[in-house]
Amino acid sequence: MSDVSNDAQMREAIGGLEVPLQRALAARFIENVLSLTEDERIKRVLKIAANADADEDQLSSALRSAKAAALDAHARCGTDGEWNDQAGYFVARAAEAAVAPRVRSYGRGPAWQAALNCRMARTAQATETDEDAHGSESQAQYRILNDYLNS
Amino acid sequence: MSAPSIEKGINFIREQIDAEVASFFSSCVHCGICAEACLFYAQTGEPKYTPINKVEPMRRIWEQEFTLWGKLKGSLGMANKVTEKDFAEWETLVYDGCSLCGRCSLVCPVGNDISGMIRKIREGFAAAGYAPEGLVGATTRAIEIGSPMGVRLPAVQAQIGHLEKNTGLTAPLDQQGAEYMVLLSSMEIMNFPEYLEAVARIMHQAGKSWTISSKAFEATNSGIQIGVSDLARELVQRVVDAAEDLGVKTVISPECGHAFTAIRFEGPNLIGRPFKFKVQHILEVLDDLRSQGLLKTEGMEDARLTFHDPCQLVRKGGVVEEPRNLLNMVASNFVEMTDHGAMNWCCSAGGGVSANERADELKFTAFKQKKSQLDELQVDTLVTACANCRIMLEEGLEENEMDIPVVGLTEMLAEHLVEDRPKGDA
Repeated sequence: MSDVSNDAQMREAIGGLEVPLQRALAARFIENVLSLTEDERIKRVLKIAANADADEDQLSSALRSAKAAALDAHARCGTDGEWNDQAGYFVARAAEAAVAPRVRSYGRGPAWQAALNCRMARTAQATETDEDAHGSESQAQYRILNDYLNS
Repeated sequence: MSAPSIEKGINFIREQIDAEVASFFSSCVHCGICAEACLFYAQTGEPKYTPINKVEPMRRIWEQEFTLWGKLKGSLGMANKVTEKDFAEWETLVYDGCSLCGRCSLVCPVGNDISGMIRKIREGFAAAGYAPEGLVGATTRAIEIGSPMGVRLPAVQAQIGHLEKNTGLTAPLDQQGAEYMVLLSSMEIMNFPEYLEAVARIMHQAGKSWTISSKAFEATNSGIQIGVSDLARELVQRVVDAAEDLGVKTVISPECGHAFTAIRFEGPNLIGRPFKFKVQHILEVLDDLRSQGLLKTEGMEDARLTFHDPCQLVRKGGVVEEPRNLLNMVASNFVEMTDHGAMNWCCSAGGGVSANERADELKFTAFKQKKSQLDELQVDTLVTACANCRIMLEEGLEENEMDIPVVGLTEMLAEHLVEDRPKGDA
């Protein structure tokens, strides 16, 4: 397969993967933005997401941790929002997406949803600057995906 | 806001007593039905949370100054005057123990708008300096920065860039003559950026022109929540000026309950004239697009799901059928809560409660009402249409160890759009 170099190809490539493999790929995307959070729970969630043999109990426990991390990090209504902190929130949401069960028949799969949240984490971090964080994170994700598919 | 004082607080409450309020106090039959309708009373069992009791300081001022009996009692030295102690005691009832959900008003057998009176009495509490710190900070930021959460234009532009790169669509800023002007809440900008992307995708499919104003993108009106009409008016005026400058036909209020009632119903009264544009909640717009055949979806969710009606939308805005019409397009296993639509129970964090850290314990106690509704249904997914409700529902579910994902309805619809793009993300 030729290398992925845009979002359409990325979605197509991800769509061809089974859910456990999507979770593992999601974990790799999140590792690339892990420096944007200090929450140790996320690292533990990634270990479960990266394990294609993780059982339901492990996934369920990881989901609870990721959800708790996201809720702890979210910008509370009416508070003075801090975009650097918000980057950590989006990393936690990416982790949540990586281990969430597919209860709905539609909607984004774990890898694509995690990828978008990772990009948003970068965007949040760079919000007050002119840096093209989104573009650089997309490129990084294409590389991660190509490495994964070629491994 | 000028320096607060008790005297000013009492004056502000007095100014709120119009014929409507006077008739409400005169006609209250002390039946207690409003208590049963209030989730704060229902879950704590404490009589002080009876809705009509929350406006007791206002009732006393009304009786003493506007009734013969009250004046007579006053002349005999029997008046129970409102004091600083009363402000201190009632502050938590007025702000922490009321989400302005309006359920009390709906059930009142004599038609008293009790939650409307609580909204009015907040004017006095804010003027007296007895308002929660969180709401004061949010209101100050809303006036000074344009957003209660300090969101500035570059942050919105960054999100627009994010969505444009993800979707290949444009989200135009300041487009003159666009049909729709989209407002956002800070909660969406900071926590749920997928809302904006969903709007862009839906508008693209419907072939509608839309824009975001760089001068007034914020929908949240903290002035209404804290109860300071002057500030609420200024925030409404910014939106009105931007919409009229751009010449848009319709302003879309986002998935935020109180923002809708603030701009749609309180707005024209606050600025003292009708708007030159229409105001619709996003769900009303989506339902219009559906009825015109402009919203094309594919596939059905087979998960068992229910809809949490945001109070301001259903009880004050009458937006009841629209979300159900939309859900029927994409959900085959939609079930209703026992009390739904106009009688739905609040998430417990509306009316500024979520911005008031002091109220956290009470709001989680009140959330038990929602928990019991959800326990009955055993759903896989909870859908709503208010960013504030969404966060509160997530927090409440987490607190009660309930594993139910919460989804925004606009976002869910966008996931089902028939689009010319690969479905590789499914």
